Amino acid sequence: MSDPRAPDRDASLSTLGTRPPFYRDATVVRWIAQVGTLILVLAALWFLATEAGDSLRARGANIDFDFISDHIGIKVGWGIDTNPDSGGRALWVGMVNTIRMAAAGIALASVVGVLVGLARLSSNWPLRRLAGVYVEALRNIPLLVQILVYAAVLASLPNVSFDMGPIPGWVHLSNKGLSIPRVFVADGFYQWAVVMLIGGVIARVVFKRLAARREQTGMQTNAGAWATGIVAVFAIVGWWVHPIFGWLGGVFGGLSDAVGSIPQGVVQLVAALAAAGVAVWWIRRFLAQHRTPAGLVRLTDDDWFRMIFAVAGAAIVVLFVAVLWPGLSSWIVNSSSDGLGVLADKFGNGRTGAPIDAMRPDIVQPGNFPNYGPAGLNLPIGFAAVYFGVVFYTAAFIAEIVRGGILAVPKGQSEAAQAVGLRRSTALRRVILPQALRVILPPVGNQYLNLTKNTSLAIAVGYSDLVQIGQTVYNQTGKTLQVMAVWMLFYLACSLTISAAVNFFNIRLRIVER
Amino acid sequence: MTDPMPPAAPTALAAEPVGPAASPPDRPSLPPGRWIRENLFPNARNSILTVFAILVALFTYRGLLNFMFSEERSWIAVRTNLRLMFTQAYPEHQYIRVWVTVGLVVVLAGLSAGIWARWGGVTLKRLMGWLMSGGGLVAVGVLIREPSVLTDAAGETVRDDVGELVRESFAAAMADRWVWWAAALVLFGLGLALWLRFDDLARRTSEIPVAWLVFGLPGLLVASTWVIRYGHYAFADGEFIAEPGQLVAMSTRVPWTVIWLLLVGCFGIGRVARSRAIASSQAVPDAADDDEGAEDEAAPELPRGALAKTRAIVNLAWVLSPFFLYWVVMRDPEIDYAHVFSTMLPMGLAFGVVGSAVLWWLTRSDAGEVGRLAAIGLLLLAAFHWVAAFFGWYSMLQVARIAFLLLAVAGLLAPNFAGVAAQRRRLVGAWLFVVLLVFYGATVINAPSTIETPTDMFIGGFSVTLLVSVLTIMLSFPIGVLLALARTSRQPIFRVLSTVYIEVIRGVPLITLLLFFSGVLPLFLPDGMEIAELAAAILGYTLFSAAYLAENVRGGLQSIRRGQYEAADAVGLTTTQRTGFIVLPQSLRVSIPPLVGQVIATFKETSLLAIIGLFDFLRMANSVVPNQSQFLGVRREGLLFISVVYWVVAFAMSKYSQRLEQRVGLGQR
Amino acid sequence: MSTQPAHGDATIAVSDELAARDDMIVCRDVDKWFGDFQALSGITATIKEQEIVVVLGPSGSGKSTWIRCINRLEAHQSGQIIVDGIELTNDLRNIEKIRSEVGMVFQQFNLFPHLTVMDNITLAPIWVRRKSRPEAEELAESLLERVGIPEQAQKFPGQLSGGQQQRVAIARALAMEPRVMLFDEPTSALDPEMIKEVLDVMEELARSGMTMMVVTHEMGFAREVADRIIFMEEGEIVEVGTPHHFFTEPAEERTKLFLSQVL
Repeated sequence: MSDPRAPDRDASLSTLGTRPPFYRDATVVRWIAQVGTLILVLAALWFLATEAGDSLRARGANIDFDFISDHIGIKVGWGIDTNPDSGGRALWVGMVNTIRMAAAGIALASVVGVLVGLARLSSNWPLRRLAGVYVEALRNIPLLVQILVYAAVLASLPNVSFDMGPIPGWVHLSNKGLSIPRVFVADGFYQWAVVMLIGGVIARVVFKRLAARREQTGMQTNAGAWATGIVAVFAIVGWWVHPIFGWLGGVFGGLSDAVGSIPQGVVQLVAALAAAGVAVWWIRRFLAQHRTPAGLVRLTDDDWFRMIFAVAGAAIVVLFVAVLWPGLSSWIVNSSSDGLGVLADKFGNGRTGAPIDAMRPDIVQPGNFPNYGPAGLNLPIGFAAVYFGVVFYTAAFIAEIVRGGILAVPKGQSEAAQAVGLRRSTALRRVILPQALRVILPPVGNQYLNLTKNTSLAIAVGYSDLVQIGQTVYNQTGKTLQVMAVWMLFYLACSLTISAAVNFFNIRLRIVER
Repeated sequence: MTDPMPPAAPTALAAEPVGPAASPPDRPSLPPGRWIRENLFPNARNSILTVFAILVALFTYRGLLNFMFSEERSWIAVRTNLRLMFTQAYPEHQYIRVWVTVGLVVVLAGLSAGIWARWGGVTLKRLMGWLMSGGGLVAVGVLIREPSVLTDAAGETVRDDVGELVRESFAAAMADRWVWWAAALVLFGLGLALWLRFDDLARRTSEIPVAWLVFGLPGLLVASTWVIRYGHYAFADGEFIAEPGQLVAMSTRVPWTVIWLLLVGCFGIGRVARSRAIASSQAVPDAADDDEGAEDEAAPELPRGALAKTRAIVNLAWVLSPFFLYWVVMRDPEIDYAHVFSTMLPMGLAFGVVGSAVLWWLTRSDAGEVGRLAAIGLLLLAAFHWVAAFFGWYSMLQVARIAFLLLAVAGLLAPNFAGVAAQRRRLVGAWLFVVLLVFYGATVINAPSTIETPTDMFIGGFSVTLLVSVLTIMLSFPIGVLLALARTSRQPIFRVLSTVYIEVIRGVPLITLLLFFSGVLPLFLPDGMEIAELAAAILGYTLFSAAYLAENVRGGLQSIRRGQYEAADAVGLTTTQRTGFIVLPQSLRVSIPPLVGQVIATFKETSLLAIIGLFDFLRMANSVVPNQSQFLGVRREGLLFISVVYWVVAFAMSKYSQRLEQRVGLGQR
Repeated sequence: MSTQPAHGDATIAVSDELAARDDMIVCRDVDKWFGDFQALSGITATIKEQEIVVVLGPSGSGKSTWIRCINRLEAHQSGQIIVDGIELTNDLRNIEKIRSEVGMVFQQFNLFPHLTVMDNITLAPIWVRRKSRPEAEELAESLLERVGIPEQAQKFPGQLSGGQQQRVAIARALAMEPRVMLFDEPTSALDPEMIKEVLDVMEELARSGMTMMVVTHEMGFAREVADRIIFMEEGEIVEVGTPHHFFTEPAEERTKLFLSQVL
């Protein structure tokens, strides 16, 4: 500076340096508006909750979750357990059915969607047009209508008979649905899985070593073949030797007992400390971001408000876990203990059978009122209708995303690939698709999410998914709100899982780019 | 089940497939032989693909035709129940109300189409392509459909010894289908005649206005009802009437003819108004040279003057029409005039006068903080009325509470209108209009309906589907915009609240939300407050759709550059003005394609009404018709029919959105 | 109105005639941090009424941040900024006043692309200054005349060249009838052949007696038009002087280095 700072002069204006009244202070006004809105929202929720409580009490109903463990005597049309002994078990069967449907649907919808999307970009005119008709036809008709059409068409299939096709004895298609051989997880599966895990770890180490050697020496080391071979050897050997891991059952059993014996107070304390710790950590980080070489920056009012809110939030959480809702802590203890107990059972010493088994469908009684034995995998009409519905519908959207993603790759890329002499298919696989994938992945993740949620339309055709079973449960017990809370948590968990998976792959793709 | 247009797709959708129709005018078309060779059989791999695709297409087509024309189909179930499917059991002698409703919508649609749309053209080549391929499709269909089943004199199907159906010979089948042959020949011949009439360049460059097709085809259809004997099928006075070989009933023919004439007439009026306005704005230099060019440049923007005013009025009419049509025209309310004169009228006048005075005072140029605080006080008072209602402290007409709330909102907006007399007058005028609407609306809505129907709902079927779609979209739009603004706000609490709402709603399936709103909502309401099933469903749809709309709008908001905010701040606009004048107009334009996608999704989602037990379009086809004693179990025909209707509406909207998208693209620099 | 003696560091080497005028912008010890990066440190300067000040400096030196603090597009964290006697604080009323007293022209023009040129200019006068529409349009027409593009009123910004857009932006700022105009690198985003048309408008504006603060890299403009030049580096004011003094006998090493790089 050419001149030292000017000496302090007294302000000639009376307003200088004074704070404005609070109702004219921009920061204060903003925060008043925010806190006001927050209070309004919370008050509205509180009003509604009180009203619901009153109404329920007036009907003699209580808000409790007893139905989860109580026997409620409902039957489930299809699933891992058609005669669940409690409401919780029934809902669990529904969740498994929903997940099965969603997983199978996502797999097939991805394949169909990518094929149709590529077909839409094909240089072959009839194929391109056919794919276009597919997309335009399916995505403009409500999914529910499509599902009902499939259900109606399937219901008009012939009755069950012994010599029924398409592949007699193996695959049956009738007005009762589709029956196929069932592959299932048998006795020793979990122990076998441990063997496979060990094999996988070893294979990975070997693969990295070999790959590194190839980088250094440039000679062919066949890393992939070695890794595959190791996994295969472990899988085959593990098929017979897996019972040696029976001791894991005891370990899990011990852990289960240990967790179960943790007093509830300890959990409450830990949770409260964790909440307080998060708040402290956040404030320390916040302050650290505002620390400069020249000392702490003067914090603005906004910063203070933020910190106050962090503290208030933590305090509320602490209050909740420690004082208001002790049940939460005991629930955490019990469910962790139960979970470990289940694991202990799965790894138990007595399990010495084959890890995986399969059986063909068997028809107990053909005719108008047919009966299938439990051996094969019997997919009822509802399943097939919902499955075809969500798969073909979602595939139409995925196809459009794939097409858009590939078109979004600049034309120069494919020209460059051709210029360096790559074949069309190689260019597509090695140059275009990896780049398109980055555009495609997030919206496709959204579609997976939509597919998962759309499986709830099963309620219209009587496939026993979570929503359908949930409705039966609350019709039986009157615990509507509780069942809906379970629905909500389950679907939120599903969407979080799918978003997490999509984010994970997205980040990996970005790293690959560098 | 929501599927707004995937974000990546729009860019792709804009590009038409590189078919023959899309070839630019400067590239001559290939002769047919070469076209086939180059596009279908350029090499072995492509030839296999071609054969595969054609086989798949033929089999699907054949299956569809066999299904449609099978002797087991009873399309009569659909024909007879057309009115039921669209309007449920709306009483016959009041049916004129339905026609008036359709007519009013058509008037608005015609006017809008005339005033707004830049109707492009269809090249002759494309048109000929459609005609010839249409003819070809019919001919192929005639050839591949399986021969019909023989029937005996009693109309029963004939079976052979094994019990298999006996079908006529192929030659007989071909001969029987002479009508279809004729149709195919006419279509193909028309196309071919046009083809031979013009040379390649003319085919590719001369265009037929789209409007001719859009209005001409329905016109032909309407005209055909006067000539072709489609047959007359109905339930009338409890009687099942089926008279094949008759003309369609007069009560159907006449209204549709009038409606078509209205459509075309209003389109013409709109066109004239538009060209007048454009002609008068020619005076402005550079604003418009020739019609098309000027439209390309200026159409996405709001023009000044008379046209803008007309457009605003038509827009307002669109916004108000669903409410008017539903509550006044279709419902035929019986207004209690004693109550109107004793309560509503004085109260409305009081609100109008006092409110105007308050707003006039609040917009003084020196109102300042006092004015702002007064408005907030007003808001607290209005909120208190609602709280009091919840606890039942004192009674008050609902309309008064609403009016108080609206007055408070107007008061909060007042600083934006402060100062100049013209602006103040505008605010007061708007307030008076709102008071009129609110009090008229309350009167009408509270009056009982005089339409007598067997069920408690006086509309059903497609009309419910439409009503729910329209109301959902209209109600969820402002909520969605607010949520999006909150989510992109710099204020953390607003952001968190909005994010939590949006993510939770988007995380759960629509059906659970609908089950909640149709089943459990009454639990949450205070004693004495009730909500109709339809209203509960609409509420559920609205809250659901708002979360998705918010995400679409957010995409648009994020596309606004920081500089726009800074420039708005630098010229001294308030936050409200900045949002209303600068941010929203730009971001909404960017969001139009996904917003239309959301509209389509909402329209499709209304089919879930059938699950929660409302009589919507799907429920009619899936449950009501198959339960009629005449048509027991006839479900697939109805489902196919409603699929087609759903498809036509959704497809038309998505095509429109693609056009919009291209235009939006043009509007950008 | 503040009438303090002008003896701040940024007022040295100013003619007596200038020193006698009223203060328009007063900055005292202004600090501004972005996280732990100090963008402005101890900025102290006074700008007189009708004075033309050009702020020079390498990129990242805090020139733009300073100018953006003056109409509170950014909030400073300590020190005082007083514009036309109004201090910039969190006071809503003051922010509103400042914004209508101070016009700003941006590097990227920031015209509103969905509004015509006419609407761009009349929006703020109508909704902030509370002018009637005819009045505002009359004003806009005269301003467009002044910046030399009266015939473009009904076009959209996207249809104009960069130079024309920037001139519209100047007209838009002038339409608020501001007491001070701030220019944040107004010619940096322009093609060379368009720079002159914008600079001409700015020169004309300077001659008309507007108080102007200009961040620019146009040395010619600085030399010809400026009353004073402020040179900044690393968030500090390094040197202040008349153009003659600044370009011929700079006192500071850093200034010399900068001039040797740009001249």
